[in-house]
Amino acid sequence: MSVTHDEVLKIARLAELEVSEEALPLLAEQMSRILEYVAQINAVPASEGVKPFVPGPDALRFRADEVKPIPLAFGPETLAPAFKDGFFLVPKLGAFEGADL
Amino acid sequence: MSDQSEALASAKAAADRLVKAKRLNACLTPVRELRKALVTQAQAAHPSGVLYGMPVAVKDNICTLEFTTTCGSKILEAYRSPYEATAVAKLKAAGALIAGKTNCDEFAMGSSTEHSAYGRTLHPFDKTRVPGGSSGGSAALVAAGAVPAALGSETGGSVRQPASLCGVVGIKPTYGRVSRWGLVAFGSSLDQIGVLGRSVHDAARVLAVISGRDPKDSTCEDRDPLRLPNVPESLQGFVIGIPKEYFPADLDPAVRRGCDRAVRLFKELGAAVREVALPHTAYAVPTYYILAPAEASSNLARYDGARYGPRFDGTADVRALYRTTRGEGFGAEVRRRILLGTYVLSSGYYDAYYRKAQQMRALIAQDFRNAFDRGVDLLFTPTTPSPAFKAGEKLNDPVAMYLSDIFTVTANLAGLPAISIPIGRIKGLPIGGQFIGQAFLEDEMLEAAYALERVVPATEEA
Amino acid sequence: MAGTATPEWETVIGLETHVQLRTVSKMFCGCSAAFGAPPNTNVCPVCLGLPGALPMPNGLALQLAVRAALALGCTVHPRSVLARKNYFYPDLPKGYQISQFEQPLSTEGSLSYLSPDRGIALATIQRLHVEEDAGKSLHDRFPKQTAIDLNRCGVPLIEIVTGPDFRSPQEARAYLLTLKQVLEYAGASDCDMEKGSLRVDANVSVRRVGEAVLGTKTEVKNINSFAYVEKALTVERDRQIALLEAGGKVEQQTLLYDAKTNGVRPQRAKEESHDYRYFPDPDLPPLVLGEEFIAEQQALLPELPAKKRERFVEKYQLSVTDAAVLTADRTVADYYEAVVHAGSGADAKVAANWVMTEVLADAKAHGDGLRVPAGALANLIGLVRGGTLSHQAAKRVFGEVADHGGEPRNVAEALGLIQVGDTGVVTGWVSDVLGAHPAEVARYKSGETKLLQFFLGQVMKLSRGKADPKLAQRVLEERLAA
Ligand SMILES: [Mg+2]
Ligand SMILES: [Zn+2]
Repeated sequence: MSVTHDEVLKIARLAELEVSEEALPLLAEQMSRILEYVAQINAVPASEGVKPFVPGPDALRFRADEVKPIPLAFGPETLAPAFKDGFFLVPKLGAFEGADL
Repeated sequence: MSDQSEALASAKAAADRLVKAKRLNACLTPVRELRKALVTQAQAAHPSGVLYGMPVAVKDNICTLEFTTTCGSKILEAYRSPYEATAVAKLKAAGALIAGKTNCDEFAMGSSTEHSAYGRTLHPFDKTRVPGGSSGGSAALVAAGAVPAALGSETGGSVRQPASLCGVVGIKPTYGRVSRWGLVAFGSSLDQIGVLGRSVHDAARVLAVISGRDPKDSTCEDRDPLRLPNVPESLQGFVIGIPKEYFPADLDPAVRRGCDRAVRLFKELGAAVREVALPHTAYAVPTYYILAPAEASSNLARYDGARYGPRFDGTADVRALYRTTRGEGFGAEVRRRILLGTYVLSSGYYDAYYRKAQQMRALIAQDFRNAFDRGVDLLFTPTTPSPAFKAGEKLNDPVAMYLSDIFTVTANLAGLPAISIPIGRIKGLPIGGQFIGQAFLEDEMLEAAYALERVVPATEEA
Repeated sequence: MAGTATPEWETVIGLETHVQLRTVSKMFCGCSAAFGAPPNTNVCPVCLGLPGALPMPNGLALQLAVRAALALGCTVHPRSVLARKNYFYPDLPKGYQISQFEQPLSTEGSLSYLSPDRGIALATIQRLHVEEDAGKSLHDRFPKQTAIDLNRCGVPLIEIVTGPDFRSPQEARAYLLTLKQVLEYAGASDCDMEKGSLRVDANVSVRRVGEAVLGTKTEVKNINSFAYVEKALTVERDRQIALLEAGGKVEQQTLLYDAKTNGVRPQRAKEESHDYRYFPDPDLPPLVLGEEFIAEQQALLPELPAKKRERFVEKYQLSVTDAAVLTADRTVADYYEAVVHAGSGADAKVAANWVMTEVLADAKAHGDGLRVPAGALANLIGLVRGGTLSHQAAKRVFGEVADHGGEPRNVAEALGLIQVGDTGVVTGWVSDVLGAHPAEVARYKSGETKLLQFFLGQVMKLSRGKADPKLAQRVLEERLAA
């Protein structure tokens, strides 16, 4: 399971992580090694068709529809690195625009 | 107004002990701030609470109002949470004093507390070694006697493994026993807050307080808090299973000797001991290192520099902001796991990795059910394959580091409760033995741990 | 434009509609879901995506989603899964949207609607799932900066996906209007496009008539009013046809509709093709819905518009058009039936006319609902039928009751509009009128009987509209025959 530099870069773009030129070879090598190691689970044929297991309650519980927000000890203006007139500020959107839903 | 002198004295003593333990780099809260906060809390503490005046340190990935919550990461440098974790609120309501925030591997990703942006934590007995991780700061503080108990968190053994390496007790409750509200998520389906204590009782009474239902966490079971069992006279009637997969041929002989001694002891206490098979054990670490990074890659997407935390330049456009903030704010291990998790979820790989790992998880959980269905009450295993290793030893070999969780990840995958207690030493370094219990039967597991703790020569060479 | 709608090309449209559910709080936290609060004031740890926060699902949102699914004839699955859709966007605080993917809440429904081209047509509903809304990005508020408001973030939505079933922009619009009607009826949403509680994305492709394979489609987003649906889809259809006719190829891409220019532009560069890495949300156990729960939601559904329309035609002997007008809005339909059934009951057709004219005109003019209580309108209609009020007078009384309230009879009395049915008084008015117009009386008697209406008008004028017209006519006829 060898991961190419290009694949690492593609994944890094999806994850919005900057990967430097220098870090790339070691990262690709380590990822390859880890993926090779974890891929051994594909050697277990018995797992085909098994229903996935997730711990915790069997079914979702619901809360009542009432306005009852969890209080904040201080507001977004204190949290935010950039905030103005009630808005969070980020640098202008470059390559992408319009929300995806 | 009641007399708070008892809590105040406890607060001051804890502050003094925490100052002494400073060299370990186990506590991230500055000493002066900590002393002040302890005194303030002592003045407000409820004398009727079951933990009145008890200082409890809290891992830095659990939200507190009193202190910063950095998760050992630069990306949350100086971050203050505007709300607190349910576990912390319950501790305070029981009269406990939050004794600062403890160092940990960044976002709980690691097994040595070397992956902290705030420097590594030293092993309390040997500064060249690691205390284990990711809750290494909590384990070191308890081992150094600075606090009787501390909260940690577990995703793949992050409470039990450092407890084992530091010679203290570490409990991971059943998944859903303790609310995760305010525990910064790493692998949501695996994460649980756990407790480290200098004795089974210290750990167990803290666990009892933080356990129980919470409408803020959909994965928390709708159950009453844990009720502590009495210390049993014997283990008559207990059937303890020994899974052979946890005693491979290449296991450190001293670890094996320590476990054998423990097994002899609980036979003497009247327990029946039976060998059992958990055939999918070998696949637990690979399964874990698919599922945990996958969940982590999504859980850590929120750290983008837009709403909180520092920004690391990237003013050109919002993508540049994301990439520099995340690229520089996260450390190497976190970046590696995010990439890994993104990879296994990405189109074309999901089935071979994520879906397959979910199925493997089911087989691993089924192994445990089979053992318990055959009349076994508890399983006993070593907690770690070896005692504390040298700092730096496994830093550049992620797979070797991952394998230090080999005996602990299974309980997280299966959602089961487990406890590590000290069972001896190897050349002065502690080793732990682990009980894995049945879901929501922590009381049985604690009974066995109480009984073994009373008789095991925990500080003697194995 | 006509050239593009030639029989040569067939348009194929599928719609994805996002509808806000009618709850007071958000989908996964207790923050208010109300529209129009100052920015970032309806926020909490959950919807800000703070470290350590967890989602807490809203029970009513789920009930409403199930009701909507049932109203659209979907199969509601006893077990579905909430999944994370991962992508980075500044108004998406967690870096993922909680939605549904592999196992949605419901699938395989349909909605029958009146196509302007084909008559009654059936749109297939492929799936209806629940999800949370994102926040709002404002790009022109500050220079070089995008402003983010997270008030909307976490507001409960359903996404309704149709098959590629529509053959023209007009059909797509007709479907949407019907969908809106059904969802309003079901009480699932107020479907107010201006407040963003109904949003539409469209998949558009064209192919030559007779072609079996679908053409390459584009996705048109940002259509934020009913008025734009037809425009946006027409623009895109025409763009594709022109492109193909010029020998070009349609590229699969996402386009944003710009209402100002009435044009479309690509949303993002191609290389940013998305990989959402859906997986089950580990913070949320499976959504398990018992048979009983589903049956309860079914029982809570009112009679839906199509059914109601049919019943009105049959039960009240109304025309299909009148029934459609009366059932377009559930409140109006209920009001109409209340008028028909109030007290001794009003004639169904007369009541229908009153509701379609006076009542709807008044509602439209004043915009604050149906101001005359159904009982009052029924009484008013009764007064006309019993001869106490003329139709003209009744209209005045209606306006008065609408503005100031009151019982129609009392209002009519106060206004002096009660008809006089006393034969002596009416005979007096008749005598006065006949005495004042001897020439017309002579013409009547020589055979010009249509002058009766003239005399009647004069009697009404003299009595200031109070004379009972039927009685006045009878007395007139008697006197003129004498
Ligand atoms: Mg959607
Ligand atoms: Zn909220």
